[in-house]
Amino acid sequence: MELCTVTIMPDGARAQVPRETSLFDACAQAGVEIKGACGGGGVCNQCLVKVSPRRALRIEGAGSLRPEQIEAGYVLACKCRVIDDVVVEVPSASRVLAHRVLMEDEGNLKAYPFAPILSVGECQLTPPSLLDNASDWDRVKAQLEGDEPKASLGVIRNLPGALREGNWQVSLSMIDWGDGPKVVRVEPGSTRTFGLAVDVGTTTIALSLVEVETGKILATRGSYNRQGRYGDDVISRIIHCSQPGGLEDLQRAVVGTINALIDEVVDAAEISREWIDGVVVSANTTMSHLFAGIDPSYIRLEPYIPAFTELGPFEAKELGLKVNPQAEVYLLPSVASYVGGDVVAGVLVSRLHQGDELSLFVDIGTNGEMVLGSRDFLVACACSAGPAFEGSGITCGMRAMEGAIEKVAIIDGEPQVQTIGGKPPVGICGSGLIDCLAKLQDGGIIDRTGHFVGDWERLRPSAEGREFVLVRAGEGGCQGDIVITEGDIKNLIRAKGAVYAGMRTLLKALELDVDAIDRVIIAGGFGQYLNVEDAIKIGLLPDIPRSKYEFLGNTSLKGARAALLSREALAEASRVAASLTYMELSAGNTFMDEFISACFLPHTDLSLFPSVIGKEVLAR
Amino acid sequence: MAVEILKDRYGSKVGTLTIGNGPAEGGTRTSVITVGGEGTLPAYHFEGELPHRPVIAMEITDVAPDWNPTLLEALGDVGSTTAWAKRCVEEFGADMLYLSLIGANPEGANRPVSSCVATVKEVLAEVGVPLAIVGCGDEEKDNELMQAVAEATAGENLLLGVAEQENYKTLTAACIVHGHSIIAKSPIDINMCKQLNIMITEMNLPPERICIDPTTAALGYGLEYSYSIIERARLGALQGDKMLAMPMIATVGHEAWRSKEANVSPAEFPGWGLQETRGVLWEAVTAAALLQAGAHILVVRHPQSAELLRNHIDQLMVANAY
Repeated sequence: MELCTVTIMPDGARAQVPRETSLFDACAQAGVEIKGACGGGGVCNQCLVKVSPRRALRIEGAGSLRPEQIEAGYVLACKCRVIDDVVVEVPSASRVLAHRVLMEDEGNLKAYPFAPILSVGECQLTPPSLLDNASDWDRVKAQLEGDEPKASLGVIRNLPGALREGNWQVSLSMIDWGDGPKVVRVEPGSTRTFGLAVDVGTTTIALSLVEVETGKILATRGSYNRQGRYGDDVISRIIHCSQPGGLEDLQRAVVGTINALIDEVVDAAEISREWIDGVVVSANTTMSHLFAGIDPSYIRLEPYIPAFTELGPFEAKELGLKVNPQAEVYLLPSVASYVGGDVVAGVLVSRLHQGDELSLFVDIGTNGEMVLGSRDFLVACACSAGPAFEGSGITCGMRAMEGAIEKVAIIDGEPQVQTIGGKPPVGICGSGLIDCLAKLQDGGIIDRTGHFVGDWERLRPSAEGREFVLVRAGEGGCQGDIVITEGDIKNLIRAKGAVYAGMRTLLKALELDVDAIDRVIIAGGFGQYLNVEDAIKIGLLPDIPRSKYEFLGNTSLKGARAALLSREALAEASRVAASLTYMELSAGNTFMDEFISACFLPHTDLSLFPSVIGKEVLAR
Repeated sequence: MAVEILKDRYGSKVGTLTIGNGPAEGGTRTSVITVGGEGTLPAYHFEGELPHRPVIAMEITDVAPDWNPTLLEALGDVGSTTAWAKRCVEEFGADMLYLSLIGANPEGANRPVSSCVATVKEVLAEVGVPLAIVGCGDEEKDNELMQAVAEATAGENLLLGVAEQENYKTLTAACIVHGHSIIAKSPIDINMCKQLNIMITEMNLPPERICIDPTTAALGYGLEYSYSIIERARLGALQGDKMLAMPMIATVGHEAWRSKEANVSPAEFPGWGLQETRGVLWEAVTAAALLQAGAHILVVRHPQSAELLRNHIDQLMVANAY
């Protein structure tokens, strides 16, 4: 096979790839991951790279590249095949950098009684003789107290050797999901057991290694979901599944990401990966399907039916997780196609289902998921906010990575920005976009429908209406102009409108007023950096006393750990999933009406935002 | 046994809109129109106050339109806008006129702004009724044109259009400066209707100088949507929503005369009857439905539809108090 050398600049990294390899994959092989929101469709322009010589590539499409970009040697990495040695310059805007992932804080979840699903039993057995000729497994079972354990084939395979190697003293690692103990590992002598809590998000994956005897988190790591290269949102991933080998691609990508994180946590904790005996995974419904390698196609098509809501436990080796092959993996149960185990985990952690007060749980991402309820009832819905809050579908949008603008101040039409890590600005992330929208309206630069008003020095014409230049090339080390276009603003207004409309529809269905909510719980990676005042100002979140807002961080990960450490929490997850009523917003027309009325800053019904309107009147 | 008449009570009223200024107010109009002010649903005299009669505006244009021949025949000579305007008022009994400056359209006659303004002034000199004046539909031209019209007719308190969500600022500013009222048009959507009213009032044009155009759909072309939007806005107004409380205008003629039913010849559809009556009825039935939904100003084209509508309004304004 003919190999071509791909050299990445300025890193100098190299990879030898077969001729006809896509440039996108070639860069990945050289260790430089490139963004690809559209999944290789040639439309998102995120995988922009500069190449030389151009003839070393077979270019299959130029997407929406401008002529001057093509002139300057830029191509879309996803639309090029390598046919000769090539040097590729990858701008930092096109790179997948270290992602800010919410790490869960240390500390126990005291809400649920401590009763880990994992335990270690040590047995000192009487060696068999001609008179005592019970089988190895019967001998072990006779020694154990409590319910008679089950065992997998793999464990029994290891048993005879382990018993004799340990001179009839062995340790048994057992897991109990509430349906009786099961031996998942047998070791000569003594051993330890660990659990793994995993949050599989569409964008990021985070996991915690948990010492079950104490409930202590030994290490937590997070990174991008490698599925990102197949598209930014669940829908484009589901579509990728329809391609030959697509489902396998996605399953491999998610398990690969988890395995890499496992490497990191076992190294950090200095334990053997074989000692991880139980894994609880919290994920949205589509991610659960893809993790388990189950075709999620029907989630996307009316009437939106998932293949399963509760699945497992099953053995780790079936999924390719690099832990004890007989370790058991359990997916927190989901409710419906767009309300998954991550939402159930959120309820579990916020204990929304146990309170007397009315709580609203909101997880804002590509899908806005929310649960409203108390000890008496739980209703959930999901609305498609679109990827705007994740920085996708926005001209200069990006995920919450270093260099992303997260705060904006605008004084007399002159913006000042603050970036994550204080790095030179590269783009704008979700929280920055919300801030930006609030400040643009505050500054009188846009009207309530999101149209630019008046003439400002930073406002200039663009292909789609006008655009506002937040950072000019050169300012603070910025490589190119960072702008927000009228189209971006419309996108954001639609996204925030969808979330708010979902909330209102939920409240209306229950004939409740927004004032009836006692507590609002904001969860997810986005929530942590969200400025509530701005979010209320643009009408994303309801205008209620700010003291009612609570941030719980990554509730998906916390919920998975709760299930590892408390059988009661685990059982509760199933009960929560079963008692959650799912409201399908696409049925009936209330949602559309609410949506249009929410596509205004802050809302067509200004009386819903008294504090925002009041302030404006005062400002005049 | 006595029948108990159930009556709803509303906390608020529809706003009022006055079009036209007489000499005392600095204008030249010999008649002035006030619509709105209702404290109940249309024709519910038994339940609340209906202080003002809905009005009929007849549509005229600055250049001869290419309307249906039967319609043009009924209107007489439309080559002279002033003569046409006079006939509408004196012969056909229009309460007011709705002047469409279609001739300004750059893709049509492309008349210069000054010529259009001259036409407006001629019509004002010829008739004493108040006018609604709308542009040609080309955003850029209309911004220039309507600003000039507003300025040239300052003090007359006319109704100028059309402000839409994408383009409302220039016209709103012109109405504020030159003392006119505005037509705020939204695409059959209650929320967008309200949003536009909020934005216009936030520019400081008072709500009593706004007329809602909720977008008219003709019979068979979505009339029920227009009907329900008008009804919803009316109910909103009665329940105290000030941003939905403005009186409403329905451009019936424009829509009804675009319908297939108003235009095809009997040769093509022998079963549909005479074209002369068909077009009129299509316009009158559309207008009657919207009138009953709560529209205040009905813009029609055909003298006979105007006549039918006037009779209908007469009947609806007969008190039915119990």
